[in-house]
Amino acid sequence: MLVGAFACAHTPQLLIRPDTEDRALVLRVHAAFARVRVRLETLRPDAIVMIGGDHVEAFFLSGVPALAVYAGASCAGTFGPYAYRYPIHEPVARALVEQGIERGFDLHYTQDAPLDYAFYVPLHFTMPAPPVLIVPLHVNVYLPPQPTPRRCYDWGATVGDILRARPERLVLMASGGLSHYPGTDRYGDPDVEFDRRLLDRLRAGRGRECAALTGEDLDTAGNVELRTWVTLLGAVGDAPADVLCYEPSWHHGNAVVEWPV
Amino acid sequence: MSAGPHYAFPPARAYALNRCLYAIKSDAAFRARYVVDPEATAREAGLDDEDRAALVAGDRDRLVARGAHPYLVFMADLRLRMERGGSRFEHF
Repeated sequence: MLVGAFACAHTPQLLIRPDTEDRALVLRVHAAFARVRVRLETLRPDAIVMIGGDHVEAFFLSGVPALAVYAGASCAGTFGPYAYRYPIHEPVARALVEQGIERGFDLHYTQDAPLDYAFYVPLHFTMPAPPVLIVPLHVNVYLPPQPTPRRCYDWGATVGDILRARPERLVLMASGGLSHYPGTDRYGDPDVEFDRRLLDRLRAGRGRECAALTGEDLDTAGNVELRTWVTLLGAVGDAPADVLCYEPSWHHGNAVVEWPV
Repeated sequence: MSAGPHYAFPPARAYALNRCLYAIKSDAAFRARYVVDPEATAREAGLDDEDRAALVAGDRDRLVARGAHPYLVFMADLRLRMERGGSRFEHF
């Protein structure tokens, strides 16, 4: 069963803060993460099914899956002095791969790809005590051509159906966004207006409309990672979002959101 | 880099360059070698003279114009700064 749904920013500057970043802003995002952690400790899920956009870490140009499921015993990643390893909830991972393929999604799965920081930055701050198993779901956000928002939404709807039919208590968490343009000449100019309109739409319970966004819309708005949120929206439908924080920095729209399920 | 998408299909001709940026970003041993000797390490990665010059200069615009993926340029640069230890970082 699905017991909770969240979306979290994951920018690495929240974990390792260079002196270019406003410390007070970073701490306000941490406070929103702490609220998610408290919620997870209340919800007591058996696993967190996490939808993340790989930053060309697990999947380089040797193979670029649109959608993938981590279905090994565990997964691990490192960033600077940080090293993470999480056990995977194998029955849920297998159900997602097997039933997803059965329902027409030609999924890639992996039992040894490294884990990107899109997954472990939010988990660093939100993992409840005692820790729970995870199931990472990859969505290609950075290597064009990426899956369309419509495809992500439809995959999310299927993920929601599969998870609701499971006996375990499961939380969905999308990782990514909002507006930022790493490596481009628009890095210092995130599209905060796009983000605010998006969050208003989600608060109003109009998440379904995000499926109609185009890949070009997302690239223009610095929101290529929104595909992970759109995937989650397919599962939560038009539930009205509770925006726990929106903290735009000079380069990044940091948002943390919860949906009732 | 103004017209066109922020993130475009990585051209095949830029594969060696993107492979090298990926290694700087994600392969700690390669990154450590690169910090010690950028020229030789970039040569070892099969980069031609122009790619090597743009990489060693850290010239984002030239790298992207030559087909480098902007995100790889961005994170390779951040990881090099973390490796070289010049900037101050607060760890949470």
